[in-house]
Amino acid sequence: MSAVGAPASPGAVRRSESSSSWRLSDRIGLGFAWLLGLLFCAVAVSIVIYLLIQGVRYVRPSLLVTSPSAGYTQSETGGFLDPMIGTLIVALLAMAIAMPVGIATAVWLSEFARPAGLARVAESTVEMLAGTPSIVLALFGTIIFESPALGFLSQTSGGIVFGRSFFAAGAMLSLVALPLVVSTVREGLQAIPTHVREASYAVGKSKIATTRRVLLPAARPSVITGAMLGVGRVIGDTAIIVVLLGATLNLEGVGGVPLLGTLRGTGSTLTSYIYDNAPTGDYNQPNKAYAAAFVLLVIVLALNAGVDVFARRAKELRWG
Amino acid sequence: MVSQDDTFVEASRGIDDDRRAELTLGALVCLVVLLLLGMVAFVLREAWPSFAHNGLAWFGPGGSVDNQIQAIFTSGDLREAAQYTFHAWPIVWSTILTTTGAVVIAFVSALFVAVFIVEFAPDWLKRVLEPVVRLLASVPSVIYGLVGVLVVVPFIGNHLVTQGEKASVTPVIQLSGYSLLAAVLILTVTIAPIMIAIFAEGLRSVPRGWIEGSLALGVNRWRTYWKIAVRTARPALVAGTVLAVARALGEAVMLSMVSGSVGFAPNPADGLIFLFEPSRGLAATIIRNTEELSSPPMKHTLYAIAAVLLFSSAMLSLIGWAAKRPMKRYLVAGGSP
Amino acid sequence: MKRVSRLAATAVTIASLAIPASAGAVTLFGSGSSAAYPYFQELFRVYHQLHHNVKFKYIPDGGNAGVQDVQAGRSEFAIQTRLPLPSDAGTTWDKLFLDGMCIAVNRSNSASDISLSNLANVFLGIDTSWSQVPGSNLTTTIDPVGRNSSAGSYTFFQTSVLNGKTQSSNVFQAQSDGLVAVAVNRDPNAIGYVGLSQSGSGSGVKKLDVNGLACDAANIRNESYPLFRYIWSVLPNNHPSVAVERFLDWVRTSKVAGRVIGLAGAVPAFNK
Repeated sequence: MSAVGAPASPGAVRRSESSSSWRLSDRIGLGFAWLLGLLFCAVAVSIVIYLLIQGVRYVRPSLLVTSPSAGYTQSETGGFLDPMIGTLIVALLAMAIAMPVGIATAVWLSEFARPAGLARVAESTVEMLAGTPSIVLALFGTIIFESPALGFLSQTSGGIVFGRSFFAAGAMLSLVALPLVVSTVREGLQAIPTHVREASYAVGKSKIATTRRVLLPAARPSVITGAMLGVGRVIGDTAIIVVLLGATLNLEGVGGVPLLGTLRGTGSTLTSYIYDNAPTGDYNQPNKAYAAAFVLLVIVLALNAGVDVFARRAKELRWG
Repeated sequence: MVSQDDTFVEASRGIDDDRRAELTLGALVCLVVLLLLGMVAFVLREAWPSFAHNGLAWFGPGGSVDNQIQAIFTSGDLREAAQYTFHAWPIVWSTILTTTGAVVIAFVSALFVAVFIVEFAPDWLKRVLEPVVRLLASVPSVIYGLVGVLVVVPFIGNHLVTQGEKASVTPVIQLSGYSLLAAVLILTVTIAPIMIAIFAEGLRSVPRGWIEGSLALGVNRWRTYWKIAVRTARPALVAGTVLAVARALGEAVMLSMVSGSVGFAPNPADGLIFLFEPSRGLAATIIRNTEELSSPPMKHTLYAIAAVLLFSSAMLSLIGWAAKRPMKRYLVAGGSP
Repeated sequence: MKRVSRLAATAVTIASLAIPASAGAVTLFGSGSSAAYPYFQELFRVYHQLHHNVKFKYIPDGGNAGVQDVQAGRSEFAIQTRLPLPSDAGTTWDKLFLDGMCIAVNRSNSASDISLSNLANVFLGIDTSWSQVPGSNLTTTIDPVGRNSSAGSYTFFQTSVLNGKTQSSNVFQAQSDGLVAVAVNRDPNAIGYVGLSQSGSGSGVKKLDVNGLACDAANIRNESYPLFRYIWSVLPNNHPSVAVERFLDWVRTSKVAGRVIGLAGAVPAFNK
């Protein structure tokens, strides 16, 4: 067993504490901790390495730039350019809604929060949203987007509203990202000491001007962290995509209008591509699924690294 | 020299700005809250016919769930006599089994691993493990499902299930590797990193002085850590567990890939075979049947399942909040994730 | 200068967003059978080449789900693989072309023929071991693979083979036709019912003869194969879309469509 050192007051003789003098139950406890710790390392490492190996085996640069197509064998079915674009579109759309709404909510909760009842209700509702399964949000999305009033956000034909489009998926995904943005930005704002605000009020600035000019720029690392966490959550979600994006292999736009047509149309993302290409999905091409999983993992890794950098920067802010 | 009138005018303009901003922001927040509460109301309203027809028997056993789903779905064709009979027990039981199994295993493992990472691991290992835990916590669940379906399920099907066991349960169900065991294993791997991350954070914020004081009194390192740090970090433990249970309940995609596609209630009395029996949970049932939403009775039934999920996650938040309140004196360690 | 350039930018953006869609472009919504979907992927493609302004959106959620989509107004047409029933009220059905339901087993299974009654017993859970199927070299437990209740193939199998009884609970319910072939491919002990389109030479499974007759185009054309079936189109009674009707007429009667159907693996029935 490892010998563990005890902290000592300066000048005292350092006595290292060997675990051999402990009671049996404590030694078993320590042994268990080591065992599970190393077991966890082994499982984690094996999962990551397995995915990396399989990914490297099957990823080829051509996969990243060719569109998927229907076919029988793995060589005919093309790459996953469209799912990658789909992931990008969905992430941008979701954050375009979640960021403004999230920052506004965080600012209101942190700086205004009157009446207190509304503040408490808002907090609890956002927390409830954080715990809601995304499949429930997906079902709710079908109610909203299949109503005739919102037909312009997807396709209609002969009075039937298709209800599945990038708009629909993006809107529901913004609800998934919203609680993360709200809590991170709120933490960032609350970490700013009150004397900064008071200094700003003392020179005659209003609360909202203070927020816009002083607090939010100072909380920028938290805002960026919140955005990255939100994006990470959004690109990892599969349930909402499967229900609300129409599950077509390629991006199929609607009408002739360039950007709007794509957003009103259907497509797929990396997550639904993996889901469809697993043995339980419609296409069953494990090699492509591994390749797409590898790409997704790399994106998540990059986002994680980014969150680390900005979270550290947020902590490093000193206010003197 | 700024006159008194000038500053007064400027100050009142500031107040007007503030009031306008407060009203706008407040209105936006109101809208968001109304949207979310509206969502809950909508789901409940669509779910009501299914609950009204079945009453409390909705949660009970009674017949094959898959046959009931088929009857409900086909009755959407007829304009009269829509079928609503639905006894969801096998699906509910499957959710209870997978969630409880995964959370229990993950909790024990996560606690020991968190203690290991924060206190007992050598420094170089600590530096490696922390980013690894964070990475694992952010991996999308469909990737875990993929590994499960391509590695764990064939392993169970080809190596752990014997012909004798298979023959003993045919013709009721097929033992093919899509099983309770696969579901619990993959779900544990999915939620454990989240729990480890939150527990570790909670353990790290225990004031160092408390631990050193205990060590100075001669208590050994393990006991100190266990009795003091873990106790103090209890709010973090609760928070992490609540988050993990919420995640496990709502996991639709991954479980639909590995747990089997049969609405079967695994029977513990079957002995070892119990682990290999296929099943299907609440969220996985919804995602398997989303294409049948056009049949009105089916739609109401699926919304009823969604309502159960919504209610469970709301209850979880409440339990988490209630469990943390008596721990307010430990406010130094923990807090919300 | 700045204001002019900003105005110009805005004008260009608005203009690009407001470009009217190409004249007369129409998308037709359909849903239904996944067994017939491979045929219709080809038919949609060829029809689009002939009529550039027509596009299709098809959801293969199963024949029975497709009929309900049409009844509920969620879809303009549906494709089904079974005969109409009284419960399909409010819809008009038309035969399009011929198809068959094949019985597939894994390549390593030496069985080559099965009788209808034996097949029924397997899927009702009465026969559970391969030793009960004559011609098979296996003695292991049978793993039956079938479809779920939203599939027209499921109802067709139920009426044609099981005589109306429900398939046994140990049948693995695959979500789409292609997945039946996948499941049979991966499991040496599996047997499944799958459409002609998904059990061809590229699928990797072996087709069994049923009552001595092979599941191929010749036996389906002269309707001697016991599990032959028509592919049906399902339209709503009220105001069916004219564009859809035109497409379906083309599928049923035109020479070009007949060739496409034949190449895709099915059997044209009414095409000139």
